[in-house]
Amino acid sequence: MADLIDLDALGPAGPYRARNRETIPDVTGRPVAELSLVPSLFVRRGMAALHRADTLPADRRAAALAHAGQIFATGIIDGMSRDEYEHTVTRVCGLPISVVRAATDAVALAAQEAYASADAARPAAAVDDWHDPLTRQGRALWTRRGNVFAVHAAGNHPAVHSLWLEALALGYRVAVRPSRREPFTPHRLILALREAGFPDDSVLLLPTDHRVADEIIDGAELAMAYGGDDVVARYGRDPRVLTQGPGRTKILLDDPDWRSHLDVVVDSVSHEGGAACVNTTAVFGAGDPAPVAAALAERLAAIPTLPPEDEKAVLPVRGAAAAHAVERYLLDHAGDARMLLGDGSAALRPAVLQLDRSDAPQAGIELPFPCVWVAPWSREDGVGPVRGSLVLTAITADDALLDELVAEPTISNVYIGDHPTYWIRPGIPHDRYLGEFLMRTKGMIRD
Amino acid sequence: MSHRSDPVLEPDPVLDAPFGAEPEPDALIQAAMRWHFSPETGSPFWLRTAETFDFDPRRDVRTFADLARFPNVVPNGVGWLSVAPSGPHVFGEFVGRQARQRGSARFTVDLDPRWVRKVLADGRPEEAERYAEHVIDQAGRILETQDIGVLVTTPPLLERLARRDDLVKLVNEHVRVITWGGAHMDADTRSILRDEVFPEIQIYGVYGSTMVLGAAHERLGLTADDPCVFDPYSPYISFEVVDPQTRRPVGYGERGQVIMHHISRNALLPNNLERDLATRIEPPPGQMGDSVADVGPVAVFDDEPLIEGVY
Repeated sequence: MADLIDLDALGPAGPYRARNRETIPDVTGRPVAELSLVPSLFVRRGMAALHRADTLPADRRAAALAHAGQIFATGIIDGMSRDEYEHTVTRVCGLPISVVRAATDAVALAAQEAYASADAARPAAAVDDWHDPLTRQGRALWTRRGNVFAVHAAGNHPAVHSLWLEALALGYRVAVRPSRREPFTPHRLILALREAGFPDDSVLLLPTDHRVADEIIDGAELAMAYGGDDVVARYGRDPRVLTQGPGRTKILLDDPDWRSHLDVVVDSVSHEGGAACVNTTAVFGAGDPAPVAAALAERLAAIPTLPPEDEKAVLPVRGAAAAHAVERYLLDHAGDARMLLGDGSAALRPAVLQLDRSDAPQAGIELPFPCVWVAPWSREDGVGPVRGSLVLTAITADDALLDELVAEPTISNVYIGDHPTYWIRPGIPHDRYLGEFLMRTKGMIRD
Repeated sequence: MSHRSDPVLEPDPVLDAPFGAEPEPDALIQAAMRWHFSPETGSPFWLRTAETFDFDPRRDVRTFADLARFPNVVPNGVGWLSVAPSGPHVFGEFVGRQARQRGSARFTVDLDPRWVRKVLADGRPEEAERYAEHVIDQAGRILETQDIGVLVTTPPLLERLARRDDLVKLVNEHVRVITWGGAHMDADTRSILRDEVFPEIQIYGVYGSTMVLGAAHERLGLTADDPCVFDPYSPYISFEVVDPQTRRPVGYGERGQVIMHHISRNALLPNNLERDLATRIEPPPGQMGDSVADVGPVAVFDDEPLIEGVY
């Protein structure tokens, strides 16, 4: 097929077209692109080149990142306009076109703000340059914990590539292993970064099969790996690897007038196609969950089934076999939950499932479409049911409860009031600041 | 001896003699010279190499004795370093014989692949890693102290050696030929080794199996862009590439599973289905069965859709 898009690996000496290529299909199974998969030797040499490379000075990194964001959002990269890129991503990963478009702007904004956003993690007492006159009196210096950072990226949403830009801002050289579900975004972004001034040997795209994947992490000093509970279990004990596991994002709805917050709940479940880690997976409501579940089901049922490239599309689309696999998984794990919605067509229609107790384990099942568990909650349950949340939106007037929620270590972000769980801004941590992982302080005094 | 009107475009029947009707030796040699040194049919390797000869192979090489005029493709009189399994493994044994035949000093670093598989199966990859580095360390000491002209090893060890800048430098300074075997090498790795890591060294693969008591050598003169073709030592060792379900031959250029046969006075070992996939390649004239290219393991299908979690 002559019209397939060639997605080359981006090595330290430029683009590399491997003989070993994987066909990337769209949601109907039609081949769209060929992704070059590099062998171990290429990975090893690439990682070695990253270690040998120089880091650009801070001001040039900041300028190049901002410029790259602009190129990413507006440029023709590798012959592809923004529109063509977004259409391709939509057709391949099935996310609604409106979500993909918003993600392009989010990545561009993240690039522009990466330097400031990364710097937000710097302790107030620390300077970021040892030449700072303050070090003459004795001071904390904020420095990197290493020089080479590896990313096992996710393919659920293009905006996941916003985060590692902060590592570049902090002066790391970076290798990204793209997801084979959506390699277009990191490919475009890294080409934009190179065009904006990052040398080829400072940021790499290394698509590999699973057998070689670990060598990217082994070749770096620090790494970030996206994935499910299996990835968290695999790398969670390695202090060099920051895992980005399931979000298990929740809403605590502790207001007798819950109907007035329904918009925020529906939005939190279905925005971003329901495919992001910041989409709400479970809603805990004070009182009887039945009316909440029924109202949610009614609202979500009204979302139309459309092809993902339709302007009005809201739901994610998958190949029929993959969609049925997701449906089967949900039905197998629903247990005694009452299913109010869900028909498992190729568009992943919303699912609302009502649970009869606050500690039902199903509430932790996170699926890549608008799928929400509705469970009862009472003040006596306290924080327990909402532990382990990337984001918790708490709708309550109970100050003592809010104190507990804010203090709870397993909840990463607490949003109080009518704020959807997917709210996110450069400079506000997503799951801690990445800088907390990538940087350390050193004591310093000099003459 | 048969003559044809256009001997260079059609392979001489002498080169295609059927099994059991082997040609008269001088006829074979003369037909082979015409085939390999005619611009229309010769490989780039031999045509290029012939420019350095002080004789014309088509005119001057007519008998078995004339073969002595050819320079050795594999150099004589230099040190051989074999970093490969010895003992019961056929690979190391063949290397030893080859080196002895060439009157070369042979240095060996032994390797026990069964131990590596055992510690990996026990979930101790660090131990396998330490062992492999220990093997490379020993190879490094020989490369530092001896004049090694031929290096024989396995693809994983060659890749591991390629990670050490100091050893790459030593190999590039001294070694003229690298022979690899005993495991697969993918086409991209082969091209990176040839073009980037060891650009001045001739690198040849050997594809064999203990089950057929022998090996096929990589066809001479291939470029990095050609598939890595192995021609078996026909007719004694022969290959077929088949559909694993039907066991029928796949078409030329298609992938299939490899079947090997050994037929000689010493042994009859027919019909061994190997666990390798390969591309079926049209054999050179006179060869029984197929040639194979891009030998690799039966595909591992991974990255299956992960159900739980959004990633």
